[in-house]
Amino acid sequence: MSRAELRFSELFRADLFRTATFRLTLAFVVAIIAGMALQFGLVYGQMSGYEQQRSTDLLQREAALLVHETPAELEYEVRERSKTDLRVILNGAALFDMSRNRIAGDIKKWPVGLEVSPKTQRLWDAPPGDTPYEMRYLAVEVEGTNGNRDRILVLARSLHMANELRYITKRAALMSVVPVVAFALMAGIFLSHRALGRIKDMHEAIDRIMDGDLHERLPTGRERDDIERLAVSVNRMLDRLEHLLDEIRDVGNDIAHDLRTPLARVKARLERVSAITNDPAALQGAIERAALDLEQCFSVITALLRIGEIENGRRRAGFAMLDLRELLAGVVDLYEPIAETEGVMLEVMDSDKPVPLFGDKDLLNEVLANLVDNAIKFTPEPGTVRLSAGQGPDGATWLQVADTGIGIAEDERKAVMGRFYRSDKSRHVPGSGLGLSLVSAILRLHGASVDIVSAHPGQALPGAVFTIHFAPPASV
Amino acid sequence: MTSAHESGAPERLPEPSPRLLLIEDDDSIAAEVAEELTTRGYDVTRAATGVEGLDHACAGQFDLMIVDRMLPELDGLTVIESVRAQRINIPVLVLSALSAVDDRVSGLKAGGDDYLTKPFAMEELAARLEALLRRPTDSRVTMLRVGPLEMDLIERRVFRNGQEIDLLPREFRLLEYMMRRPDTVLTRTMLLEDVWNYRFVPQTNLVDVHIGKLRRKIDVPGEPPLIHSIRGAGFSLRVPG
Repeated sequence: MSRAELRFSELFRADLFRTATFRLTLAFVVAIIAGMALQFGLVYGQMSGYEQQRSTDLLQREAALLVHETPAELEYEVRERSKTDLRVILNGAALFDMSRNRIAGDIKKWPVGLEVSPKTQRLWDAPPGDTPYEMRYLAVEVEGTNGNRDRILVLARSLHMANELRYITKRAALMSVVPVVAFALMAGIFLSHRALGRIKDMHEAIDRIMDGDLHERLPTGRERDDIERLAVSVNRMLDRLEHLLDEIRDVGNDIAHDLRTPLARVKARLERVSAITNDPAALQGAIERAALDLEQCFSVITALLRIGEIENGRRRAGFAMLDLRELLAGVVDLYEPIAETEGVMLEVMDSDKPVPLFGDKDLLNEVLANLVDNAIKFTPEPGTVRLSAGQGPDGATWLQVADTGIGIAEDERKAVMGRFYRSDKSRHVPGSGLGLSLVSAILRLHGASVDIVSAHPGQALPGAVFTIHFAPPASV
Repeated sequence: MTSAHESGAPERLPEPSPRLLLIEDDDSIAAEVAEELTTRGYDVTRAATGVEGLDHACAGQFDLMIVDRMLPELDGLTVIESVRAQRINIPVLVLSALSAVDDRVSGLKAGGDDYLTKPFAMEELAARLEALLRRPTDSRVTMLRVGPLEMDLIERRVFRNGQEIDLLPREFRLLEYMMRRPDTVLTRTMLLEDVWNYRFVPQTNLVDVHIGKLRRKIDVPGEPPLIHSIRGAGFSLRVPG
């Protein structure tokens, strides 16, 4: 246990970052960063577009207002811009004559590349000894003092808002990415840790199961996720395995019991015989009966070996096309004398149509013999055992053995096909108790199913009807 | 088992002792079989591998061979095929671990005359060897005779001391099989396999019932019985005296 713990703690440290959950988290972090970059890009794009539009509108609106002022007023306004409202809105304003010489205003000289146009223009200005900067300009013709439109009004607005916007967005993006990523990573570590903890619990449970504690199950019940579902499946598998093991154990007990009884009798006989050494006839008789008891042990073992062999399913080599009618006739021929002595009529269905089946003749004969044998055993005198076979419309072959005997109780019908099951009613009847399990092993090999019903339910002798349904030819 | 016709004496083997070659690699089984057969009057030679067995079979004059299917060096079927290829036509009994049908078929195809699966009873083995040694009556004869019994195979009629006995077809088949192998122990398994072609161990004393019915028709009161039960082994058709 301590070694296992050590192993787990190592595994825990080394494997935390290798868990599926953590890898998923990393993938998510990358996706979150990409998503946020995209989101901030879009926001910035929208905002800068809006800001540009606003700048353009402002310039044009101001220009439209200023154009209508008298030249003197305009000149005054431009000259005294720093003292008026214009200062807030505009970063530069000037009046130029038609030869692009400044008349008034704080734009020192005509910006290179500026054209007189109702559209705003973005231009770089590089004043000597200063870093170049970009401005938005609007140049419109206005009325001069002489009454002609011989002056040009130039308005400028800096792009600092847009720059600020870019700066703010970048900062916000960075500021928000860091905590989001950190949070995602923490969550990832936490979840991986938890997943690893659950896996660890399961590993420990599996180790306990491997150590032989077959009642142990994987821990479940906390949440309905995929690990949980897997654990539930594994637990179901373990239930099934445990059940099978129990069955095998029961079978082992039954075998031991079925062998013990005759062996105990042999022992008792031989012990008794050793006391009476003077009577050769008694000795001979005891030895013979002991041999018979041993014979019974032999038949149990042989039957078990045969069941094992058939269940291994490697006997399909003997499969061939055959006619079930011939098999029925054969088994009737074999069992008629014994049925007669038991006072049971053995009837076989008359059919002029062949009943074809792909199967192992020897094994199917064994099935028939066992069913007929049973039917005769459990049918009191006078009774009837009826054999029939046929083919359904889909080509599936069926086979039926019906008797007028004591029948099989509904709750025993499944169990009778299992190993060693002997109904309480049949305790006194000799047999290995393996006949029907041999039958079901052979039928499984043939892909056939069997159902058991009562011919006359509710009566003193309800009778048992065994019907075997073979799979239709296409699915064989 | 307490029939009036019961007989405990094992059948006498023909003189001199038949020489038997036993090719079996399992030492304990080989020793057990050899000991049992020696007490039954066989002259047993043992071989533990296929090659050794084949050497013996080709060199020595044997009357009978028992060959295990699974052998080291050379497997049993190859041994039988090689022996048959040398035109050595002694009867061969094949032994194998489990009764797979294809095993039986391939064993007989390779040239084996009979097939027995482990575990087997010594009585069964002895009966089968004996049956192999006494080859049944030629199948071309049309009239079988054992003591007072006469069987007309063409007319399908049976007489005892000239008196016709009315038999059912299955009783006729059983009697024919027994009359072809008089003075031979026939086990229940042999009868089930050869007369009815069934290869399983029935849960009931089926064969005994068949024999009983036949016996009631053949062995009329006042006449010496012909069908004998052999304790722990099976049945035998034999003229007493």
